[in-house]
Amino acid sequence: MRREPASAAGRRDDEAAAVALCGLPGIGPVSLGRLLSEAGGPAAAWEAVRSGNLGRPGNPRPGIVPWAVAAARIDPWTRWEAAVAGGIGVTWVGRPDYPSRLALDPLPPPVLFWRGHLEVLDRRCVAVIGTRRCTPGGRRLAWELGRDLAEAGMCVVSGLALGIDGHAHLGACTAGPRGATVGVAASGVDVPYPRRHAALWQRVVERGAVISETAPGGPAQRWRFPARNRVIAGSSELVVVVESHSGGGSLLTVEAALERGIEVRAVPGPVHSSASEGTNQLLFEGAGPVRSAADVLDAMGEVRATGRRRPPPSPPPERPASPPGDPARGSRDRSAQRGSGPPPAGQPRSSRRDAVGPAGQGEDPRAARVLAAVGWEPTSLNRVVARVGLPIAVVVAVLEQLAALGSVAEERGWWQRLR
Amino acid sequence: MLATVSSATLLGVEGCAIRVEVHVGNGLPGFSIVGLPDATCREARDRVRAAVVSSGFKWPQHRITVNLAPTSVRKAGSGMDLPIAVGVLGADGQLDPSLCDGIAFFGELGLDGSLRRLAGTLPLVGAAREPAVVVPVACAAEASLLGGTRVLAAVSLRNVVLAIAGQDQWSRVPGAAPATEQDPGEDLADVRGQPVGRLAVEVAAAGGHHLLLVGPPGAGKTMLARRIPGILPPLTRAEALDVTRVHSAAGLELPPGALVLRPPFRVPHHSASMVSLIGGGTTQIRPGELSCSSHGVLFLDELGEFSSSVLDALRQPLEDGAVVVCRARHSVRLPAQCLLVAAMNPCPCGGDGSPAGCRCSEAARARYASKVSGPLLDRFDLRVAVDPPDVSDLVAPDPAATETSATVAARVARARGRAAARGVRCNAAIPGRRLDELAAIDGASRRLLEHRLRQGRLSARGMHRVRRVARTLADLAGEEGAVAEEHVLAALALRSEPFAPSRGVA
Repeated sequence: MRREPASAAGRRDDEAAAVALCGLPGIGPVSLGRLLSEAGGPAAAWEAVRSGNLGRPGNPRPGIVPWAVAAARIDPWTRWEAAVAGGIGVTWVGRPDYPSRLALDPLPPPVLFWRGHLEVLDRRCVAVIGTRRCTPGGRRLAWELGRDLAEAGMCVVSGLALGIDGHAHLGACTAGPRGATVGVAASGVDVPYPRRHAALWQRVVERGAVISETAPGGPAQRWRFPARNRVIAGSSELVVVVESHSGGGSLLTVEAALERGIEVRAVPGPVHSSASEGTNQLLFEGAGPVRSAADVLDAMGEVRATGRRRPPPSPPPERPASPPGDPARGSRDRSAQRGSGPPPAGQPRSSRRDAVGPAGQGEDPRAARVLAAVGWEPTSLNRVVARVGLPIAVVVAVLEQLAALGSVAEERGWWQRLR
Repeated sequence: MLATVSSATLLGVEGCAIRVEVHVGNGLPGFSIVGLPDATCREARDRVRAAVVSSGFKWPQHRITVNLAPTSVRKAGSGMDLPIAVGVLGADGQLDPSLCDGIAFFGELGLDGSLRRLAGTLPLVGAAREPAVVVPVACAAEASLLGGTRVLAAVSLRNVVLAIAGQDQWSRVPGAAPATEQDPGEDLADVRGQPVGRLAVEVAAAGGHHLLLVGPPGAGKTMLARRIPGILPPLTRAEALDVTRVHSAAGLELPPGALVLRPPFRVPHHSASMVSLIGGGTTQIRPGELSCSSHGVLFLDELGEFSSSVLDALRQPLEDGAVVVCRARHSVRLPAQCLLVAAMNPCPCGGDGSPAGCRCSEAARARYASKVSGPLLDRFDLRVAVDPPDVSDLVAPDPAATETSATVAARVARARGRAAARGVRCNAAIPGRRLDELAAIDGASRRLLEHRLRQGRLSARGMHRVRRVARTLADLAGEEGAVAEEHVLAALALRSEPFAPSRGVA
């Protein structure tokens, strides 16, 4: 049928079979891994499934389609061609391009789909993960960690979710050309989830890869998320948890990492912050603390070429994309306007340092008072006004100025100091 | 023999004049009422018969027919017991029917012939075209509120019949409303450390802006809301009559002196049905809580727990200041000029809703927020987050930050006066097309609003509402002319987005 050199044709057969195998109903990493190892390769496994020689382990329950029947309805070639047309690559355990660290995992994704540049996973990888319901401060730190780690040549692995994950990716995407980032998806690599992050997915594909063990077009089913978390842990040398509620999903990644002997570190947070309950518990149990990318690099034994142990504390003045501290309200151009737009008229450039100085000896003494009143935890406007004791209009005006400078951030009416 | 007696029945909050025609003629003894009486009205047969006999009169052993004209209007309630009884006695010759000319009769009869209080006296008396009205003594104060009509108060049917014939005294009508200050309620000085919340209630009271308070349980939302009637200006006589008319028609208890002088404060439970809130009913259209809080405050606590269809039904009346309730037979217009104040939690977990203090999933929060529809949320000019005060504010409050209700009420009254001088009921009612004329803003404010619009942090509609609130803030500060930027900033801060979803990136 296809006249190709034998090896190339065989590889294509294998790839098409791998795509098709992942489309079998109810197949998970364990059963897929067993199929592949018993048959000795995707093409052989697909043949065995089609002919009914290999099937579901045990007696299939009534109402469940046997794989042989399901396989008869699947055309491997159409699926394979669709995947190739969508720029999706497929690999499996044992192939040379399969990421080396994942290949050593106790439960690796038997078949891995990817878009972008899979080879970045063979660099030093560090996972930066955390809750979707994060504070502005956590969001900002995730962005800084992503940027600084990528700048140091690391590959930043995360889960493409809202909140911490997304901002870690975004930070890595804004780093220099050495940076790379890999997003591990629970859905198929061509099904952006959450859909709000479709643009982020594209950027991650350009700066690294989006990988998934779910077949292309597959939805993000519930059970896929813990499975995805183990892939995040398995691809990384170190897992950094920025913020996590107690019982949050990031703690599943932590569990998977600890099972694999991968080091876990956590960012300390205020003891009253629900978003730091999980991370503070990790610290209490003995995880190492992370204050900045330098702590992570130290833990990984990286020595920075410049000899500086700590990256500069504040982000470089020219920031390419919406910084996490600035609320990106829904759409991209809005966030761009808010984030990188010029400071409001009448705001002297020099006041930046003054307004954000820790001691707060600025030109505007009110800025220091307001900054002190906001504090490092999310604080309601009500409380800021009560603490400052100035009219609400003055407080709001100062807050808006501070937000334009990136010193504070607002979310749903809650203000938090960022630096 | 035929006798005709004047009375009235209630249609919503208005009275409708009724002629009670009684015919006592030959035929088998019987008693029938025609002319669309409802169940309570038809039961008048038994009450009237017993009352007439108990009062020492003779029940005519003839065929008695009562017609309530006009026959197309549905007659509701027991207020026509007295006119029917008087008509029967007149038609039977026990009372000279000509003595009843020029008098309208209202009152429910007990079986012993005593006269009882009835709902809606004020609108009923208002509808009567006669120069004098006979009412139960319990309603006499209310009936005399209108003035212009001679109020004859009676205690029983026998009292009425004898007094008409000049053989007995009418009861004394209680003097007009003793102008004693009715309880102003709780004082704003009790509220500690809520600068934004305090400002919000002050602005709401001064400009008639609907207010949504969002905060965790125990933050003081209800405490703030309860203090709004205390800072609203006292009702004018016309407003007081309007409110009293509605309360009377709804059968609510009236204060001593009958005239409601303080702005009403109504707190319906969140299980309220649509009819109970908007008004309605099958035989008689009763004003709902919305109308009962007219010229006052309608406080919906736990807004998210109200059924969403009930909440959405509030939207149009809030905009129009009136609600037209339609049934198959009739439709009535009920007032709805209230200040809507609502309170709800930021999320279902009971936390303070802050990014650090809330444990709800994104989906759970979105579900909770979706209970209040966007269009209704948009009706709230003021949306503020309220959280429990700092501990230091509770134990050692700053005396400067705790103004009393009286101080705030004075500012509110001045601001309301400024709005009235501009020819609008309140600033919230400034029509959009007159905003530039009545609520002009200066150049800095215009740039600020344009900036927010471009950022997508403000909608065009939201901008109008912000401008009205800013006008109120300027009025409170006593500033005329174009609204300064500081007021626009504060107005923007008083319109937060407590239910905004978490943001994605890129």
